[in-house]
Amino acid sequence: MATAEPHGADAPVQILSARRMAWLRFRSNPVAVIGALMVLSVLFCVAFAPWITPYPAHSGNVLDFANRHAAPSADHWLGTDKVGRDIFTRVIYGFRISLLLVVGVLGVAVPVGAALGLAAGYFGGRTEFAITGFTNVMLAIPPLVMALAVGNILNPNLINAMIAIALLWWTWHARLVYRVAKSVAAEDFIEAARLAGASHWHILTREILPNCVAVISVKTTLDAAFIILFGATLSFLGLGVRPPTPDLGSMVADGRQFLPEMWWGVLGPALGIFYATLGFNLLGDGLRDMFDVEV
Amino acid sequence: MALLDIRNLNVAFTSYGQRTHVLRDVSLRIEEGQRVALIGETGSGKSVTSKAVLNTLPGNAAVESGAIHWRGQDVLRWPDSAREGLKGVEMSVVMQDPLSSFNPVFTIGRHLEDVLYWADRRNDTRRSRRDRRAHILDVLRKVQLGDGARVMEAYPAQLSGGMRQRVLIALALMNRPALLIADEPGTALDVTTQDEILKLINALVETEGLSLLMITHNLGVVRMMADDVYVMRKGVIMEHAPLAELFRAPRTDYARDLIAAIPPLYGPGVKDQPAAPVSEAPLVQLQGVHKTFAARRLFAPAQLTHAVRGVDLEIQRGEIFGLAGESGSGKTTVARMVMGIMQPSRGRVILDGTPLDQAFDGRADRRLAQIVYQNPGTSLNPKRTVGQTLEVPLRFAGLSRSEIQPRIDALLDRVGMPALFSSRYPHELSGGQKQRVAIARALAANPRLIVLDEPTSALDVSVQAQVIALLEELRSELGLTYLFISHDLSLMRNVCSRIAIMLRGELVEQGTPAEVFADPQHPYTRALIAAIPVITDAEDAAKPRVTDEEKARFLVSSAA
Repeated sequence: MATAEPHGADAPVQILSARRMAWLRFRSNPVAVIGALMVLSVLFCVAFAPWITPYPAHSGNVLDFANRHAAPSADHWLGTDKVGRDIFTRVIYGFRISLLLVVGVLGVAVPVGAALGLAAGYFGGRTEFAITGFTNVMLAIPPLVMALAVGNILNPNLINAMIAIALLWWTWHARLVYRVAKSVAAEDFIEAARLAGASHWHILTREILPNCVAVISVKTTLDAAFIILFGATLSFLGLGVRPPTPDLGSMVADGRQFLPEMWWGVLGPALGIFYATLGFNLLGDGLRDMFDVEV
Repeated sequence: MALLDIRNLNVAFTSYGQRTHVLRDVSLRIEEGQRVALIGETGSGKSVTSKAVLNTLPGNAAVESGAIHWRGQDVLRWPDSAREGLKGVEMSVVMQDPLSSFNPVFTIGRHLEDVLYWADRRNDTRRSRRDRRAHILDVLRKVQLGDGARVMEAYPAQLSGGMRQRVLIALALMNRPALLIADEPGTALDVTTQDEILKLINALVETEGLSLLMITHNLGVVRMMADDVYVMRKGVIMEHAPLAELFRAPRTDYARDLIAAIPPLYGPGVKDQPAAPVSEAPLVQLQGVHKTFAARRLFAPAQLTHAVRGVDLEIQRGEIFGLAGESGSGKTTVARMVMGIMQPSRGRVILDGTPLDQAFDGRADRRLAQIVYQNPGTSLNPKRTVGQTLEVPLRFAGLSRSEIQPRIDALLDRVGMPALFSSRYPHELSGGQKQRVAIARALAANPRLIVLDEPTSALDVSVQAQVIALLEELRSELGLTYLFISHDLSLMRNVCSRIAIMLRGELVEQGTPAEVFADPQHPYTRALIAAIPVITDAEDAAKPRVTDEEKARFLVSSAA
C-alpha cells in the first residue's frame, strides 16, 4: 500500500511557491514598493551621474565665482555653493561616495559578522563563549569615539572612515546571525544531517546559512541607511572625504557657515541624505514583512 | 427549536488576492442537551466551523452565504456587539493547547477573575470581590480541582497540562453557558489525562445540562463523547448519523476508510507480528543504563533530573521493538542513547557487539543506526529540496555525482514517491510525504537499525496507516530492525513484535504485545491500556480494569 497520497491531498489551500508568496506580499505593501523605487533611483543616479547631471564638471575643482551662492533657479535647481558649483550636481555625485562607503563597510562587516555568528551558534561551548564575549566587548565601544580615534591615529579620509565603521559594524551581524543559527542548529534536520555524516562545513554553509539569508538581507538593507547617515556625520565632523570630492556630509558642513541667509547650501545635501536614508529604510521594512522575520 | 442550527454555511478565505473556499454548504444542528461531534482530518474545516459560530474568524475570512441560527434567530444578521454578548455567556469554547490559552505573567486566579468581572459588567450583575471569589471556587470544584485556593494562586506554568485544561473548562463554565464547544480538548494531553478530561466533560454535560459540540480527529473520542456525529472532509459534511449507526453502517467510503484505518486494540482485527528469533548476539543491548541531567545553578548545588534509571533491554535482529510511555517517561532519552547522540551517565549501550563508548566519537556508526523524527515539519530543512536533503548521506558516503541522482530516484521510489518530487521544497509536501522523505533519508545510509521516534503521531490516521504499511514493507524487504517509540498503545499493539512500557525512567513491563495486552502485570500498564479511547464496545469490555487506588499510585492526578 506504499502509494503516495496525491499531491496536496490534505491541503485544501493551494500552495504557492515561497518566492511567489513573498513577491505577492511585497507587492501588496505600497511603502515597500516606494522604498524599492527610491533605492533604484539612487542606484540609477550613482551609475549615470555624468549623463544625468546638468554640470558634471562641478563634481571636481571648478571655480565660478560669478555664480557663487546663487539661489535655486531653473539653471541651478538647488542653487550653488560658495565657489559657484551646482549643488544638485554635487548631491547626485555625493550619492556615489555614500554608496561606496556602504558597499565598503558592509562588504567587510556582513561576511565577517555572519561567519562569526554561524560559528558561535553552531559549535556552542567555548567557541560560542569567546565569540559572543568578544562581540559584547566591541558593542560597548561608542562608534563615534572609535571613528575619531581611527581618524586621528591614521588620516581622516574615506578609507579610514570605512575601516572605523567596519571595525564595529560586524558585531550587529554576528549577534543577529548567532541568534538565528543557534535556533536552527537545535532543529532535528541539523542532527539528521550530522547522523548522515555531513561535515561541519556542509552544515554551516548549506544547512544553516540558507536559513539566515532572509535576516541578513533585511539587516543589510536597513544598515545601508544607517551607514549613509553615519558617514555623513563623520564627514560633517571632517573625518571623511577630503575636498573637492562631493560628499553629502561635508557639503552640509560647508553650507552651515552661510546659514540662515544662504539656506540652500544646507538644504540640498540634507535632502539628499534624507532621500537615500528613507529609501533604504522603507525597502528594509518591506523586505522584513516579505520574509516575515524579526531583525 | 434547535439550540444551534447552521444552514448551508459557505466560508472563504482571501489571501493576497487568492480566494479559497473552505466551507461548502455546511449544515449542522445541535438540540438542547445534545452531544454532537464534528470529526475530520487536518484541514477539513472543523475548527473554521466553530470559529464561524463563535464569530472569531480571522479578518481575511468571509461568510459568503448561509445562516447560523441560535435559538431560532440568525446571528449572522446581528451586530458584532450582540454576538460578542453570546460568547462566554451562552456559548463557551475549550481549546486544544491549554498553555497558550493563558497569559504566563498572570495567576490563574487573575484570569478567572477578569473573565467573571467583564461578563458581569456586560450582564449588569453586581458582585463583590468576595462573591466573585466564592463563585470561582465553586466552579473550580465543579471541574474537580479540589484545592481551588491554591490553584488560583498559581501561575499557568506551575500547573500540569491536565490541571490547565480543567481550569480552561472552568473558565468556559463560569457563566453557565448553554453550549460548550470543545476543540480537541484532550489531543495535547497524555492518554490517561485525556481520559480524565473527557470523563469530566461528560459529567458536566450531564449535571449542568450543557449541549456539547465536540471537535476532534479521534473516532475513539467521538464514541465516548457524542450522540450525533458529523464527518467532515475538505470543507464538506460527508456524513451525518447517530453515533451507533455511524460505527455500525457507515454510508460513505470516506467514513468507512476512517474507521478501518484505526488500529484495533482487541478482537479479531488485531495483527500479531511474528516474533524474531532470539540470538546470542542481539543487535542492541542496554545494560543498566542510567541518564541524569544536571542543571547547573550559580549559587546552589546542581539540580539533578533522573531521566532514565537502570534500563536493561535487548533488541533482536529483525524485531520491531516498541518502547511505550507517556511524556516525560524517558523513552526519547533511551532512543538518543541508542543512537549515541547522548552518552549514558552509567551503564553500557552495545550496538552489534560494540560498546558505544569504544566506538569512534561515541556515536553509532551511521551505516548501523539511523533515526526518523516525530515532527516531519522540523526534520527537513525548509531551504533545501528533497533531492538536496537525500543527497547529503550519499555524498558523504563517498558516492560520485553521477551515482547520486539514480540513487535518489531509487530511494524516492522505495518510499512510494515519484522521482519528480526530488525538486520540491518541504513546504510543498503534505505531512505524510515529508515523513516518507525522512524515511528515505534514513534508508540512504543503508542502516540495519532505524529508531522511529513517534513517526506517525503528527499525521492523520489515514496517512498513518499508509506510513506504517510502508515501514512494515521496508522491514521485510530490507531486513531492518526498528526501535519504535510511541505513546499510542493501540498502534503498537499491531505494529510491534515486542513491547516495553516505561514509567518515570524505568521499564515496568516487557513482553510480546499479545501477552502484555491480554494480561498486563503492572498496574500502570493496566491504567494506560484502560485509558485508550476505542471504537467498539467489545474492545471496551476487553480492556483491563484498574482500581482507583492503583491509579492514584502510578498516575499523576490532574485533579489537585
